[in-house]
Amino acid sequence: MIGVAEVTSALVAAPPTPVDDGVRARLGDDLSARIAPLAECLPPGEQIVVTLPTLRQALVRPDSLMQPDEPFAWKPVFVRRSLGLEVVNACATRRFRAPADAVGLVADEAVSDWERTGWRRFYWEPWLAGLAPGSRAMVFAEAVSWATALWSSLDWKAFSPPPHFGGTDDQWTCPAARSVRLKGRCEVRVPLAHEPTSTGGENSVASPTALVSLSSGCPGPTWAEELAYLAMVAGLRSPARPVPARVVGLWPDAGEYRVAEVGDQLLAAAADRTVATVRAIADAVSPTDA
Amino acid sequence: MVVIDVDPGSEICEPEVPMSPPVPGRAVARPRTNRSGAPPAPHPVPHPAPRRRSHEWRPLAGAALLDRLRITGRPRPEPDPQFVVTLRHGLEQGLVADEPGETHTDSRTGVDHLGDVDPSVVPPLVVTKDRLNRVLACEAHHAAAEFGDRAYTTALACGAIIDVLFRQLVTVGSIDDPVADGLSALSVDDSQRDLVSWIRRLPHPARDELFAEVERQAGGLIRRWPTLDPGWMPRTQEAMRVRLAGGAVELSARVDLAIGRPVEDRASVAIVEVKSGTRRVEHRADLHFYALIESLRNPAPPFVVATYYSRTGELDVDPVSGELLVAAARRTLAGIRSLRQLAAGAEPRRTPSGLCGSCAALPECDPGRRHTGVADGGPVRDQVPR
Repeated sequence: MIGVAEVTSALVAAPPTPVDDGVRARLGDDLSARIAPLAECLPPGEQIVVTLPTLRQALVRPDSLMQPDEPFAWKPVFVRRSLGLEVVNACATRRFRAPADAVGLVADEAVSDWERTGWRRFYWEPWLAGLAPGSRAMVFAEAVSWATALWSSLDWKAFSPPPHFGGTDDQWTCPAARSVRLKGRCEVRVPLAHEPTSTGGENSVASPTALVSLSSGCPGPTWAEELAYLAMVAGLRSPARPVPARVVGLWPDAGEYRVAEVGDQLLAAAADRTVATVRAIADAVSPTDA
Repeated sequence: MVVIDVDPGSEICEPEVPMSPPVPGRAVARPRTNRSGAPPAPHPVPHPAPRRRSHEWRPLAGAALLDRLRITGRPRPEPDPQFVVTLRHGLEQGLVADEPGETHTDSRTGVDHLGDVDPSVVPPLVVTKDRLNRVLACEAHHAAAEFGDRAYTTALACGAIIDVLFRQLVTVGSIDDPVADGLSALSVDDSQRDLVSWIRRLPHPARDELFAEVERQAGGLIRRWPTLDPGWMPRTQEAMRVRLAGGAVELSARVDLAIGRPVEDRASVAIVEVKSGTRRVEHRADLHFYALIESLRNPAPPFVVATYYSRTGELDVDPVSGELLVAAARRTLAGIRSLRQLAAGAEPRRTPSGLCGSCAALPECDPGRRHTGVADGGPVRDQVPR
């Protein structure tokens, strides 16, 4: 059960001992060395992108990794996260009382910004602008339900300095096999302290952070390494910043949350899971000898 | 307890609402446009309105509808973590008793659990309201429905359109053109693509009748449903899930509307299901199933669960109590046991009921054929509209 005070306290608690830069560097080297031989088996031109959903999919439904991707087409469920995050941001900064108040205006602002400048901040602006009222309402409804789940899960007054919503995905391309990329996406980044923290390297002087990840469904038995995967990718992507100190996973459908305190062992487990996932995908897309 | 919305007051009622539920299948609304391009269907001949008597039933609207949801006549249930532990205990114990596998005891609660299930090896048994209803009514009917093709009907299409229109009304506060908005909303949902195609291929008379009914029900929603304050956190199609027995079983539901921010120290959530068809006894069990899942997943139970019938404007309200939750847990456990036995390969039991007439297994089902009279060469009775 998600108790708002309880999960917020767990999120902003004093960070554990930061992951040493040497550990981080070895983690990257180790991943690269283990992934490279798997990538050699890929058909020419084939790319592997590992994400948190892919990690879960490889464990629960490995057969689905072989299914070809459908051509991309916008739909409400693809918009709900980015619009929902902007809605929660607007509520957290007290522009609006609640997600249902904010959604229409936030979406209208995004579309009018695109119409005025031609710049697509969310990519979906032209699609949304062309929708009939019924479809548009479904986009808003999905975003409100998604945003309300996040908005209701945390005490937003407890964050100082304010959290950062969304942003670009963390990405790390395997140096020894450029065809393999790891992508991590979290919903909120919460600074944990005003004082910068040194993690033992020349460049690692920055505030520690905690990540918040929101998922549908229920947490599975391997939730810890899945949450740690997000910290791992963020840490590999930005050597100048500390590896995120913790990752809080929210499963509003189930009313549950989990906290992964990021340390060496958990990062190693996340790396193992990542390698297993790359292997599963490589097996799925590579031609068999038989 | 079911509280049915009988309101003798006059100031909150709408004079244009029909005095009695319309005859099913009969167009009583005037479609504003003829979308088929065919000549307009003849409007039903208006009958003189009967004289209204003060005790006649009229649907609730506006603030009165909201008050009926908020003020149930019963005290709100107190959040009781120990009661929830007991409720879960009852469910888990019932499942553990069926399971020969290894169990462990939670040192905090004293509850026996099955060990965590590895989802890569054993996917959870997903228990929904429909599965519960079917398997508890007749296991053979459930088995037939699980593997049968999905048959579309105009009633099902009407329900799907009304669901998205209700969602639109709650979210943006207006519906401009019910049929256009509804079809447009369904068209961006992959799972409804085939239904939209089926609707577009309907013969003109059936399609006109469907659209007229959609317009009529949508008109009722617009007239009667109050604007919900955004501060009440209204959310539509909210998914709810609870895993039991170490992940072996997953209770799953999606409710049309949840209102009220879940808080730890007070029952603050109301759940509303919208139905476009006729009132059926299973609808109450559906509500109780929702109440059970919400109570297991959030710190406080919902204080009320309700079904709103868009066809008539009826509102069935069930205040949530401990007794209701215990009964729902017992029923759910009985259903899970049947579902597990069927999944393990048990022969489905055949229980003749009102569902026989619409059951796909009827041609091979002797008890069902006897029940419906088909075995004797008689006509099928007990046709249940969906």
